[in-house]
Amino acid sequence: MAALDAVEWEVCSLEPVRNRAGERTLRAALGMVPPSARYFLDSPWVTRAYANLAGMPVHQLSPDLTEMITLVVSQDNACRYCYTATRSIMKILGFPESQIRRLEENFLAADLSPADTAALDFARRVSRAAPLASAADAQPLLAAGYSIAAVKEVAVFASNSVFFNRLSTLPALPPHQMDIAERWYIRLLRPFIASRMRTPRVTQPAILQPEQREGVFADFTNALDGLPTASRLRAVLDEAWRPSALSPRLKALVFAIVARGITCAPAEREAVRLLVADGMTPAEIEQALAHLSGPGVDPLQESALTLARESIWYRPAELQRHARAVGAQCTRQQFIELIGITALANTVCRLSVALDLARQEP
Amino acid sequence: MGSTDLLIGSGAVLLAVAIAVAIRLLAERRRLRRRLDGATAELQRLQTSFQRFAPTAVVEGIVARARATDAARREVTVLFGDLVGFTSLSEHLDPEVLVSVLNEYFVRMSQAIGEHRGHVAKFIGDGLMALFGAIEPNPWQGNDAVHAALAMQRALAAYNQELAARALPTLQLGVGIHRGVAIAGVIGSQALVEFTVIGRTVNLASRVERLTREIPADILITASVREGLDPRFVLEELPARTVRGVSEPVVTYAVREFRDAE
Repeated sequence: MAALDAVEWEVCSLEPVRNRAGERTLRAALGMVPPSARYFLDSPWVTRAYANLAGMPVHQLSPDLTEMITLVVSQDNACRYCYTATRSIMKILGFPESQIRRLEENFLAADLSPADTAALDFARRVSRAAPLASAADAQPLLAAGYSIAAVKEVAVFASNSVFFNRLSTLPALPPHQMDIAERWYIRLLRPFIASRMRTPRVTQPAILQPEQREGVFADFTNALDGLPTASRLRAVLDEAWRPSALSPRLKALVFAIVARGITCAPAEREAVRLLVADGMTPAEIEQALAHLSGPGVDPLQESALTLARESIWYRPAELQRHARAVGAQCTRQQFIELIGITALANTVCRLSVALDLARQEP
Repeated sequence: MGSTDLLIGSGAVLLAVAIAVAIRLLAERRRLRRRLDGATAELQRLQTSFQRFAPTAVVEGIVARARATDAARREVTVLFGDLVGFTSLSEHLDPEVLVSVLNEYFVRMSQAIGEHRGHVAKFIGDGLMALFGAIEPNPWQGNDAVHAALAMQRALAAYNQELAARALPTLQLGVGIHRGVAIAGVIGSQALVEFTVIGRTVNLASRVERLTREIPADILITASVREGLDPRFVLEELPARTVRGVSEPVVTYAVREFRDAE
């Protein structure tokens, strides 16, 4: 914990709110309203994205491995909020403190199976995207006995952490809020809470319906077909693209910038297609992507482009100061949506490894 | 009875000693754990700090194997900055004042570079070399480097006002920027290593910076930087010049300003 305590972290730029409809959505999906979700309740699609991605079931991996992936990725992204939350959840789930410490200190030297070590290393590569993870990076996992579907699921949980890391880091959610594992009432109710918190596991593959095979960034969700995440991510993307406080152009620009930043060609192609459909000319798009500005871009979009670029690799406090400045230029709902779409773009672009792996499938 | 008492007494003493030893060991273990936690935290802090100056994979290689052998070709933008006429200036200043002026100058330049996603790879006398795109891929590295150069100019102008107010001589900066492929890696001996880039790209950036002494321009960029540069930068094309180590004359562009909203 000490190392991340030293990471500079700004004061939170959002306030938690109450919203019955949003709370109902979260309770239905997760059985509770997580404290961090309260900051995003003013945006229906961000709330539903939260519910869909936070409650994502696992199909191929062990639930314990997914927790370890979340810890390692959150630590690597210096997301103090997610890191503290995951640490608390792991303690509630019964992970010994010594094991958590070994994971934090150096998971490569921790007492894990070679397969789990390879999975954590791969998850970190997916999250770092420097360079973007490819099928070649998955070879150690395949050699350790993972199926292609299982490797994709590692990428899914790593990218899922990327989503929550950005969602929490951009507005600087207060980390102390989640340091709850040692509170007396949590210790008392630990078995009950653990049963609610454990990542659910499904045994049957989840096949996409024909109507779920189309939509924005469909190549990405189709590449995950068979995993429970495919339909959830499909729903998140469809809802993100419905009319809301942010224009479709701004959303597509954010995706395009993140895609260009981490050289994810399939995501950039899809974002450019959406921008053309929105009326931008190829020259306007290229200028916007090359210079984060241009004739087809209004001041809010320009700020969003810069923030999206900063969100790929960042130092938390710098990103948070930048986010706060952008937040001052827009409404609360726009700001929440901007945080949501930036987090989602980072997630989807990092899933391009699933496209690579899908090509290897028989 | 007496021997039983003795036995019980000895047992009690042994138990007390065992408890004392156990408590001592527990305390010692806690103390060691705290020290280990402190050392781990310090190591992680150092690792995090070092990641600002070298790619994460390189830092991890050094931490895991005490050395890093990975080297790669990367597209980078190299910025050289040098103080014009500083050598003659240094002969007239008290050494302590000179070092203080220079250190403060480096702090301000490093800050300007860092704010535009570059990092200072090395200080060379009164000059510096900064890299853009060396640590993470950066498709905007050309714009970043030129923005950094303009920010360095602004920072120096502010610093010069302070120097003038203290009756100290003002400084003049020359900047050369070139973009191209270079070999990036950890280079040096066991005693002193650094993450840096080497190759023709670096040499040309350095040569272009030297041209600022011959041409009335403080910031010069090459055609490879100009290509893909934001059109809001106001540039002036200069006649091609021969530079040492390059067979063809090199065309450079003077950066005059950045015109934001019209």
